[in-house]
Amino acid sequence: MLAVIDWDALLEVVWVSFVAGIGVTAAFAAGLLGATRWVDYGRSGRGGEAIIYGALALIGFGLVATAVVFGIVTMIDR
Amino acid sequence: MDADLIVVIVVATALAFDFTNGFHDTANVVATSISTRAMAPSVAVGYAAVLNFAGAFVSLEVAATVANDVVQVSTDPEFLLVVFGGLVGAIAWNLITWYFGLPSSSSHALIGGIVGAAFIAGGADSVKGDGLLGKVIMPALVAPVLAFTVAGIAILLIYKIVGSARPGPATRGFRGGQIVSGGLLALAHGTNDAQKTMGVITLALVANGTLSQSDFHVPTWVVVSAATAIALGTYVGGWRIIKTMGSRIHKMDAAQGFAAQGAGSAVILASSHVGFPLSTTHTISGAVIGSGAAKRLSAVRWGVAGNIVVAWVLTLPAAALIGGLTYSLTRLFGTGALGPVVVSLLILAGAWVLFMRRAQTARAVAEV
Repeated sequence: MLAVIDWDALLEVVWVSFVAGIGVTAAFAAGLLGATRWVDYGRSGRGGEAIIYGALALIGFGLVATAVVFGIVTMIDR
Repeated sequence: MDADLIVVIVVATALAFDFTNGFHDTANVVATSISTRAMAPSVAVGYAAVLNFAGAFVSLEVAATVANDVVQVSTDPEFLLVVFGGLVGAIAWNLITWYFGLPSSSSHALIGGIVGAAFIAGGADSVKGDGLLGKVIMPALVAPVLAFTVAGIAILLIYKIVGSARPGPATRGFRGGQIVSGGLLALAHGTNDAQKTMGVITLALVANGTLSQSDFHVPTWVVVSAATAIALGTYVGGWRIIKTMGSRIHKMDAAQGFAAQGAGSAVILASSHVGFPLSTTHTISGAVIGSGAAKRLSAVRWGVAGNIVVAWVLTLPAAALIGGLTYSLTRLFGTGALGPVVVSLLILAGAWVLFMRRAQTARAVAEV
């Protein structure tokens, strides 16, 4: 019975779901934290911290955008 | 002549099923966005309809699985009646679960219906047990659990990361994120679900000799018509089921909605990529429950979640039974077009009765 299961495909679904589902949501959360802190520190005149959190926002949201585009392109290319 | 007429009826029935699929599954796609107020209901439904349409063009792997790996395809014209019986079984089950507000799986209803009709027509040999187990049943078991786990871990991680951020901007941010994750979920739904109808129409075209069995391809008109039917069904929407999915399982915050949609779309898109005809309903239900249970077990209304599981377990056998009965009923009228015509009229009448009864109930509730 186990032989009829396409384990390679099933494992691909599992690891892609974990990486994309958790990675993308975590990257978005990090981007969101960076954006809110960037605004807060910017308003209170703490330029150094604002730059660091601004960079975190850029990286987080950038990762999300890249992952979404990569995922769609991969599906279309198959 | 008769065979051509049956093909026309089968294609029309398949597109009707596709419409009910979009109608029935609107909830999966938009409920979380609506319940967290990320989008107004009318905007969310329109947005989902457009992305469902687009999603149907992304891949054809699932269509290939449905057409090649579930039942033995035959070029005997009688096989058209098998496809017809399966489709009617799926539509009937979709209508029944819609009437009772249960988010059961349209996909499993379709596959169950086809398997049931094929079994009655040709016995156990006509069902590809290996394909059914390996490409339908196993992924059907794995996907909701996977979505549950991914959504649960994702929401815990999200709370850990944004825990110290001000709640107002964070909530607004996650609502914005839900526009992306909800869009991805709609795209994923169109990709996986519209393809099942494409696969069934392709089966009918092979049975009729219009397409060659050895050279599998889905004609462009099939892709466009299936995409249009599911998008229209999504736009018309299933408001009763939206209520169940959006607020009855548990009250979600925007972060939970984002995590559930992100996990659900990741699982469905990954499955579509490898050709697993997954249940989008079960997957997003698993993700919604996972995002609630990870925060607080008591936040999930387990009674409602239990009803969903019951519908989940019943769908394959119930649709198979109705599919088999429909095939038998159709065969009573011979192998010509009369059987499908009579059964189509019966299912239309049944749908009309259910819609009228629902409308009456809705009016009675409004008057109270």
